This record gives sequence, structure tokens and C-alpha cells, in this order.
Amino acid sequence: MLIDETKCVGCGRCSVYCPVGAHRFERTPEGKVYAVVDQELCCECGVCLRAGVCEMDALYEPELEMPRLVRAILSNPLIEFKESGVPGRGTAEIKTNEITGRVRYATAGVALEMGRPGVSTKWTDVEVMTKALAKLGVGFCDENPVTYFMKDKKTGELKDEVRNERSLSAIIEFDCKLEELPKVLEVIKENIDKIDTVFSLDVACKIRPDGSIPVLSIIDQAGFEVLMNTKNNMGLGRPRFREEGEPL
Amino acid sequence: MTHSLHRRGSRESLSRDFVVLSCSAKGFNNHNYAEFCRKFMQICLKHNPVNFGDMKTGNWLYIDPQEIIERISNNTIVEITYDSKENVISLMKELKEADLGISVVISGISEIVDEIAREAGLGQVHTREYSLGTHGKTERLPEWEILEFHTMCGHAMVSPELIKKMIMDVKLGRKTPHEATVVMGKCCSCGNFNIPRSIELLEANLPLWTIDDPVY
Repeated sequence: MLIDETKCVGCGRCSVYCPVGAHRFERTPEGKVYAVVDQELCCECGVCLRAGVCEMDALYEPELEMPRLVRAILSNPLIEFKESGVPGRGTAEIKTNEITGRVRYATAGVALEMGRPGVSTKWTDVEVMTKALAKLGVGFCDENPVTYFMKDKKTGELKDEVRNERSLSAIIEFDCKLEELPKVLEVIKENIDKIDTVFSLDVACKIRPDGSIPVLSIIDQAGFEVLMNTKNNMGLGRPRFREEGEPL
Repeated sequence: MTHSLHRRGSRESLSRDFVVLSCSAKGFNNHNYAEFCRKFMQICLKHNPVNFGDMKTGNWLYIDPQEIIERISNNTIVEITYDSKENVISLMKELKEADLGISVVISGISEIVDEIAREAGLGQVHTREYSLGTHGKTERLPEWEILEFHTMCGHAMVSPELIKKMIMDVKLGRKTPHEATVVMGKCCSCGNFNIPRSIELLEANLPLWTIDDPVY
């Protein structure tokens, strides 16, 4: 996002809309105050422009090119990541699991949303986690933007051109076998202090016919706490994917 | 993967906070999803939602709901927010009856969602995603009271500074809680922002903030 300093009157109405505080004020040699957007902090989410509060029409979004476009892909919910064909920052994950059968009784879906909530993330921090997790041989989800911008999925290394970018969040997403989950959570824990941002962590599982949920004891033993809120696929989609042993 | 999952708040407050969403399954029903999604949205409207949106089009705070429905595409995510378990139960009963064949997700407190599934005759939840909390440099997070608002938009479009300004505007009598909520809710195009909950939170926050920090 940019601000045309010749139009801006420095009223500050747009600045409070910025989720990362990237708007600041400067003064011309003649003493006129105007706003500028810190291009390092700005994640190109576009919310300040969409707020429509600038009466001087000073805010504008130039056409973004790679690698800066990465910021918009991961931060502006109105921009679709074409390679996945799924709007948003991740994949369809459990939202359609009763149809796709992506997460099964013997597996877990894991996601780390780097930078969330309200902090944002540099992609160097994203890479700290992807490289650590890659050593476990996890299969990063295709169709996910972070995976797409990896140089090598086996090492978790990101492409050089995106490493210095930043976004409101970046979701590292993969599935693993249940028996691998303890090690996955251990590695995540080991790397918490190596990043300069926050991340929100989630684990998804298919509930077994007897109502048991094996991931809960694994999460507990790993020293993580499960919060009260959950996201639940209600099983209404058809045709339904059925794995062996699943009741009709 | 986490859009409506990591909402923060007290159990009492979150017990009146449900996001119902749907999206197409790529390679399975994304060729004709819009047709069924429109029926889904019409049914959702009948059960007293408190917000209603399509992440590609916007929410009903600034677009007529019928226009949102009309503009639904095969490749989108629609999100409808409710503040009552009873309304979600009646919704799920009707959706079960309608048998549209599209996926439906509810974000909410686990035990309450289990109750909803049972009482709507759906049996048990199919797949569940757990929030394991926020880690790392948590000292950089906004204040807890601000996070309660901020996490109602999973894309982080409602900025902490805007939330503080809205609290101040209400405290100073410049806006009603509803007017301040609309300003914030418009930033969250998906329709995840729970309008009554935000009004409650604003009213609860008024005594906690002083007008000199920050001054807007």
C-alpha cells in the first residue's frame, strides 16, 4: 500500500485500520504533515484502502509483482491463491474431510499459523519451522501457499525471493501418522524460542466410531493444552468417503 | 486451516458464538457447488444469524444478503455467525432434512457442538480440529481484551488500534456500541464478526479503559 503525499492531509483516519501499525507520519520541509506506509511492515492486506475512510483519495495499491505479491496472497483475504483454487491462506483441510477422506483414523492434520493473531510474521521465521519439521519427513500439503513457495519440500527451505517477505500470517500445513505426532509436537516445542513472532497451533483428527479421540492423550503427553473452541466437520457432505472399518 | 478456530474469550462469552461455514470439495463437487450453497444460505437466513457473508463478496453489514447469495461461486467459503445454540440446532435439523450434500462446519465450544450434533440427529461430529493455543513471542500479542474482538476475524482484518479507538469512541459518546461494532465488522468481509458479542464486549470494556491512553 502506498499513500500519495501530495494528496494526504495527515488526518490519520486510515492509520488505525492497519493491523500491524505500518502507517506513520512525516512532515515536509514546509511543515505539512502526511502519512506514509512503512513498506517493510506493510503486509499488503488492503484493509486500510477498503475501509474507504480517505476523503482525499490518497491511498492506492500499486500492481504488485513477485516477490512482494506473496504478502498480498497471504494477507488479503480477497486475493485467491490460484495454485490451490481455494480462497484463504490454507487448504480446504477438514472442512470437506467427510468427502475427501484427507484426515483418517490413523492420521492427524497439523497446522501452525505463523504470525497469528495480530503480530504478523517474517518468512525467515516461517522457514525456521518448516526446516525443523522437514527433518522429520512430514509431507507438507500441496495447494498450500507456504508449501508452494518452498525451494525444496524435503528440506523445508523457502525460495530465495520470498525469504525476506512478511505476511499477516502464513500457515504451515501437513498431515502425519498418529504415531509420528508426539515427535512433531516435540520439535515444534523445541523451536518456539527460535522465532521472533507468535504462532497458533492446531491438530485435527477424525473421531472414531466409538467416540474416542486418540490425539487428545498425545497432545496432553506432549505438554500442550487443548482450548475449549474447536472446528467441527458435521459429516453432511456427499458422497461420503469411507475407509475400511468405518460404519455406514 | 484455522480461520474460525482460534477465537478467544471466556467460556460464557464463547458459548454464544458459533461460526457455521461451508465450502466446496475440490475435485468432488466444485463443478456445481454454487447451486447447493445458495440453498444452504437461504436456509441459514431462516435461523436468525447475527452475521452472514461470503469471503469473496463481503458480509451483510454492507451488502444485501440476497446479493451475497446471488454472487456465490463454485469456489468460495461462506460463513454465517450465530449467537444461540438453539438456532444452530434448528438450522442443523433443517440442513439434515434438506440433504444438500455439501460440507458444513461449525466452530464453537466442543461440548456445545456435540450437543448440537446430538439434538439435531446427526450423531457424532465427523472430524474435529483442536486449538492448541498461541506460542512464541506472546508478549507481542495485543491485550487479552483486544484479542477477544480481534480473533473474531480469522484474517486479522480488525486491527487492535481500531478496536481501541472504537472502545474510546463509545466511552466518549461518539458512537453507540452498535455503531462501533458495525465499523469493526465491516473490516471482516467473511461475516465471522459476532455482532451481539462485540456489543457485549464493548460494554464490558468501557470501565477498563481510560480516555488518556491512548487518545484518539
